[in-house]
This record gives sequence, structure tokens and C-alpha cells, in this order.
Amino acid sequence: MVANLQTPGLPTQADFHAAISDRSDRWFAACLKITRNRDMADDAVQDALLNAWNKRHQFDNTARLDTWIHRIAINAALQLLRKNRPAAFEPLETDVEDDADTPETVQAEHELGKRLSAAMTHLSEFERVCFVLKHLEQWRLKEIAEEVGSDVGAVKQGIFRAVRKLRVRMGSLKGEET
Amino acid sequence: MNEDTLILYYYNDGLSKRERQQVEEAINSDAAVAANYEKLCQQLNGMSEPDSPAVPSHTVERWHDAIDRAARHERVKAQSPARSFNPWSFIWGAAIAAALAIGIGLNMTRVDPEIMAPATVPGAFTRGVQVHFRDTFQELSTLPTDSATDRSMLALQIIEQNRLFERAAEQNNSQSLARVFRAFEPVLLQLAAEDISPEDAAALQAQLIFELNVMLTKLSRDASNETDTSQPGIRT
Repeated sequence: MVANLQTPGLPTQADFHAAISDRSDRWFAACLKITRNRDMADDAVQDALLNAWNKRHQFDNTARLDTWIHRIAINAALQLLRKNRPAAFEPLETDVEDDADTPETVQAEHELGKRLSAAMTHLSEFERVCFVLKHLEQWRLKEIAEEVGSDVGAVKQGIFRAVRKLRVRMGSLKGEET
Repeated sequence: MNEDTLILYYYNDGLSKRERQQVEEAINSDAAVAANYEKLCQQLNGMSEPDSPAVPSHTVERWHDAIDRAARHERVKAQSPARSFNPWSFIWGAAIAAALAIGIGLNMTRVDPEIMAPATVPGAFTRGVQVHFRDTFQELSTLPTDSATDRSMLALQIIEQNRLFERAAEQNNSQSLARVFRAFEPVLLQLAAEDISPEDAAALQAQLIFELNVMLTKLSRDASNETDTSQPGIRT
């Protein structure tokens, strides 16, 4: 009765291993950008892998397995974030920066270690999630709104504010360097 | 033409066809809009994805292992005969239900979520976890390593129960306990595999017993600290 591990068309154990070897760093990075927390990013990837394995019969063979898992990992990261920091999904009423830096988030940012990451620490959680999903993950506005349980208008505002802040922050960081 | 519209134009999302045409016309006909848009594009293109952080090799190994175990678990499950009534199952089920009922029930009825600090875990829930760990500890201690089927069935049963507790821990705002339950799963899945040698099974069994013992000690210590500090006049 091991046929379900070898059904033609279903991704195999070897396919999953290959995807982990090739792309798990990108899944982790994407989850880290969403959560800013290593443990949550780690959990998100593991949850995503097990979820993808258990639901592999739903996998569309015309798609890429690693892309599919990437998407599941992002969803898992969003779920964990929602569970741990529900405020991240509150649309913006006030222009509050996410200043809740913990050693973990500082370490996470240090690891991301780039100007964008540094500038992103000045975004609120909602702005960061919207920006990451739009700019780095290329999700549609509607998809983001559905995932964060908000409306397209609020997501747009989140992105506008994020871009505005990042343009200012990255401009000033560039100025500091020169 | 405001910046927000240009941002949506850049992302090719959130504008109607008509609105896109209007932006295009403005960019083509108005030098100031064109300059603004060019600057915006430069800046947004510059916001490129940072290099991926290095993932520790042991973490990647764990992800590989998770897939192997899930596959093995699936095979074991597929090969296992239909379960008949097992008194263990009944006792386990009753203990778990009682522990969950105590943990979640008290949390729902006695703890006001507005008053309860996010990291606070109700004592009743912790005690339920202790009972579960103690029972698991005893079951594993007396489990014969030469019966692969019994070993596998017990491991699968513990996994199922741990998942219930993991969910309950999350509902009780204890991410750390939830992580503990998750951490047990890979070892239990290994133990559930019927194709491992009795020596490997014994080693896994010993590892689990050791870790359960550590957890029981830790929970007892935490509970005792809580009792000490809750008594009036006693300061630690």
C-alpha cells in the first residue's frame, strides 16, 4: 500500500528533497521577511513542507513544486504571525512604526543585513506585510486583502505608506553612506 | 497625477484599464509626471530582495527528516491493520479528554482574556500537560521493544494526542509548550516506523523517556515556583 507515494504525477519524496535542497533558503527568507522572527520562519517552513506533503495530490503538475511550497510557506508564516501578533493585521488607523525590536528581530534584520531590511524596520507590521507580499512576492492586491482579512483599499494604503517611508528611509540611508 | 496612482501603475495592479490609459497619457505628455515616474521606478527597482539569510544546515536537515518521517508515517498508517478496541486507547482518550477539558474549560470560564497576560498559561492546563507527560512516560517505559506493531501503534497514538495538546497549548497562549509538543513529533514518527531495528527503537524510546523526564522536572519546578510566589508573605 505504498502506491500513494509513487502515484504517477504526484511529487515524490525525492522531489521534495530536491526542492528543499534548492529552495529552502528562499522559503525561509520569505517567511523571515514576513515574521521577522527566526523561530516562526523555521516553523512556517516546516509546517508548509508537511502541509504540502499531505496535500500533494492537490498539486498542479504544470506548476513548479518549489513555487507551490513557497506560497504555502508564506501562508503558514502569515498564519503564525496572525496567531502571535494579531495587531499585524489591523489596517492603519495611526502611523505607528513597528518599534518592538527584540533580540530575535534585531538578529533577523542583521541577517537580512541590507538597506531595504534596515528601512523596513520603520514600517508597521501591516505595512511590512503588504509591501513584502506586493513588492517582493508579487501577489495581487486582492490576494493580499483576502490573506490579511482586510479590503483592497486598506492594502493599497498600506503599500502607499510603506513605499513612501521606504523611499525616504532608503534615500536618507544612501545619503548617510555618501 | 499623484504618487499613489503611479505606484499602482508601476505594480500594474489596482487600476482600471481607463485609469492606466490616463496615466500613460500623462507620462507621455507631461515631463514632470514622466520624471516623477522615472524616479519612482528607479527607487522601487532598487528595493530589491536582500540576499537570503543562511539557513543552518541542521535546520535544513530537520526539514529533510520531516519529509522522510511523514512519508514513513504514511506507509506505516497504510500498512497498519484496522484497529480493534484497545483498552489503552480508551484510557488514553479519557485521560486526554479530561486534561483538555480541565485546561481549556477553566481557561474559557475563569480567565478573562483582557486580564490574562498573553504569556500566562493557566495552571490547570499545565497540570493537564503534566498528567499527559507522566502517562506517556509510563507507557513508554513499559513498552516492549520487540513488538514493532505495538510500538508503532503507541507512537502513533501519542502523536495524535500530542497534536491535541499542541492545539490546546496554542489556545492557552503557550507557544513554548506547543513547540515542545512539535519537537517530540519527529522522534515519535521514527519510533512509529516498523522497519527500524529493536536497538534503534530502544535508543529512541530512551531518548523520549529522557526528554519527558526533563519536561516533567521543568513543569514541576515551574509549578512549585508559582505556588511559592503566590503565597502571601513569601518572597523569592
